Amino acid sequence: MKILIIEDERDLVKDMISYLSGEQYRTETAFDFASAMEKISLYDYDCILLDLMLPGGDGFTILEALRSKNKQDGVIIISAKNSLEDKIKGLTIGADDYLSKPFHHAELLARIHSVIRRKQFDPSNQLIQKDLVIDLLSKSVKIRNESLSLTKKELDLLLFFIGNKGRVLSKSALAEHLSGDFADMFDSHDFVYAHVKNLKRKLNEHDYGQYLKTIYGTGYKWQL
Amino acid sequence: MKKLLDRPFKVFTIFSLVIFLMSIPVYFVVVDWIWRTELDDHNLTIRDRIANQLGQVEINQDDLESILQIWNSLQPTSFVIPLGDQKILRDSIYEITKFNEFEMESDRFRGLRSVIEINGEPFILHVETNLEEAYETLFAIGLVTFFLFLILVFGFIQLNKIISKKVWSPFYRTLDTLSAFDLSAGKEVSFEASDIEEFDRLQRTLSTLIASNVKTYSQQKTFIANASHELQTPIALLKSKLELLLQHQSLNEKESEMIQAIQIPLARLTRVNKNLLLLAKIENGKFEDLDQIDMGEMLDQSLELFEGYLEERELSFHKTYESTLKFEGSRFLVETLITNLFSNAIRHSPLGSEILVEGRQEMIVFKNSGKDPLDEAALFKRFAISTSETTSSGLGLAIVKEICKLSGWSIGYDFENNFHVFTLRF
Repeated sequence: MKILIIEDERDLVKDMISYLSGEQYRTETAFDFASAMEKISLYDYDCILLDLMLPGGDGFTILEALRSKNKQDGVIIISAKNSLEDKIKGLTIGADDYLSKPFHHAELLARIHSVIRRKQFDPSNQLIQKDLVIDLLSKSVKIRNESLSLTKKELDLLLFFIGNKGRVLSKSALAEHLSGDFADMFDSHDFVYAHVKNLKRKLNEHDYGQYLKTIYGTGYKWQL
Repeated sequence: MKKLLDRPFKVFTIFSLVIFLMSIPVYFVVVDWIWRTELDDHNLTIRDRIANQLGQVEINQDDLESILQIWNSLQPTSFVIPLGDQKILRDSIYEITKFNEFEMESDRFRGLRSVIEINGEPFILHVETNLEEAYETLFAIGLVTFFLFLILVFGFIQLNKIISKKVWSPFYRTLDTLSAFDLSAGKEVSFEASDIEEFDRLQRTLSTLIASNVKTYSQQKTFIANASHELQTPIALLKSKLELLLQHQSLNEKESEMIQAIQIPLARLTRVNKNLLLLAKIENGKFEDLDQIDMGEMLDQSLELFEGYLEERELSFHKTYESTLKFEGSRFLVETLITNLFSNAIRHSPLGSEILVEGRQEMIVFKNSGKDPLDEAALFKRFAISTSETTSSGLGLAIVKEICKLSGWSIGYDFENNFHVFTLRF
């Protein structure tokens, strides 16, 4: 799996690569418009992270060039401009997702997973974690063939945990995943506890292993 | 408030009233004096004529007596009587009031007493002429003066109107332009040229003043926008580094807590910065892409995202809005408006209280429980502290206000039955 990060802020690129390091992704980078154009014309990527404001040009131009060549690379726009117009424009031209800065790496990783998953056309579309099987199309969750009834939020959280397995997820990252930009408006995100607690309880009821761990003082971690 | 032109008008009116009142006795004295001198002249002429004619005729003594008798009874305004023993050498003038039997009123007479000679004998001749009554003259003059005064005041009023309309019109237009001026709109004003020196100076001074204000304001706006824009990357990096730091296996409990503690002020910094950018964007923005917005649907969507926070604060939520609450607006602005009001209500509600959202045609009301009314004047200002709670960015309601201003809507605040009530009218 190949990911191209088009972003001029080198420090941020370094952090993204570092966060993605545990995954089976090979990352390449382009720090300006020209090198980005070169890379997309030479290679195919599974997912491209695209900043809109680049030295030497506009991210939209890159996206347009990509789609005019009929390339089906997944594209996630990461922009500092939190603007609805940009989002709509980006999605219309053919981006798969839009994430505004500043974002949690956990959120970015979850979005990358979901873009790549959509591009893979896996007919089964199942996510398997030991005894746990999640059917992504029907949104059903089973442990050893026993159905688990999860609320929408609990399922959301479960997918988020699995997508970020091995990483510590803070309360604010979880809250932002559930409430989007609204989470920015609050200092306390304690409601996340209740949802995670319920999720844990339901997993325990089916004798599922203790893979969802509480990291004291910081958050949670999914570890197989 | 008085109008500027009404002040001299009042003074002029009072002044002319005084002059008119003073003119009445003056006119009377003058007219009366003219009357008297004219009548005295007239009496003298008559005396001369009578003396002349009587002096020329030859009449014997007996006839003279009977003629004088007839004369005196027929000609009451002049009569001749023998001098007798009296010694009058000089003419004298007198005034006398006599009762007029025909008109049943007293008449004033101006008389001349003179000695004439008839047949060599001295006689006293009285010539009397009716003089206009003093009170009649006074009344006539008063009446005329009063009418003239009325005409004058009427003229003043009319002239005042015309002057204020014509001469002052550039001034009033300048005033209108000024009251319509909005600093935050960033547009300079242009005044109509005036050929009156004072107005021209006023307009030039105002133009300079406004131009420098507009410039300062837009510099300030640009500065804020640039500053918050420049802050975005460092904030994003801070957030990114903290998240990576969190992944370190070697973190002990204290260090984890420290990272957690850093995240809270960082979140607030993010929020303030984001709101500043949003404000700058709203102020500069042209939001012309209007959509048909289903308010009920939008409220339900934000409710879904806020659900967790409602649960956390144990708030009960009640909605009463019609499903047909639709109107036209910029989706981005309306969404921002709703989420700001919504999050505001959640943040400031006491634990376990309730939030009500009522939607009616053309208006939406957000109600949340509260103990004391908020300071309405400070409520919608930037960074104005209207509560003791410190969780707010101080910008949420300023953003709401700004959006309303831009879209021509209105937002009002009331405190009713222990509820903070925010009413949004479209």
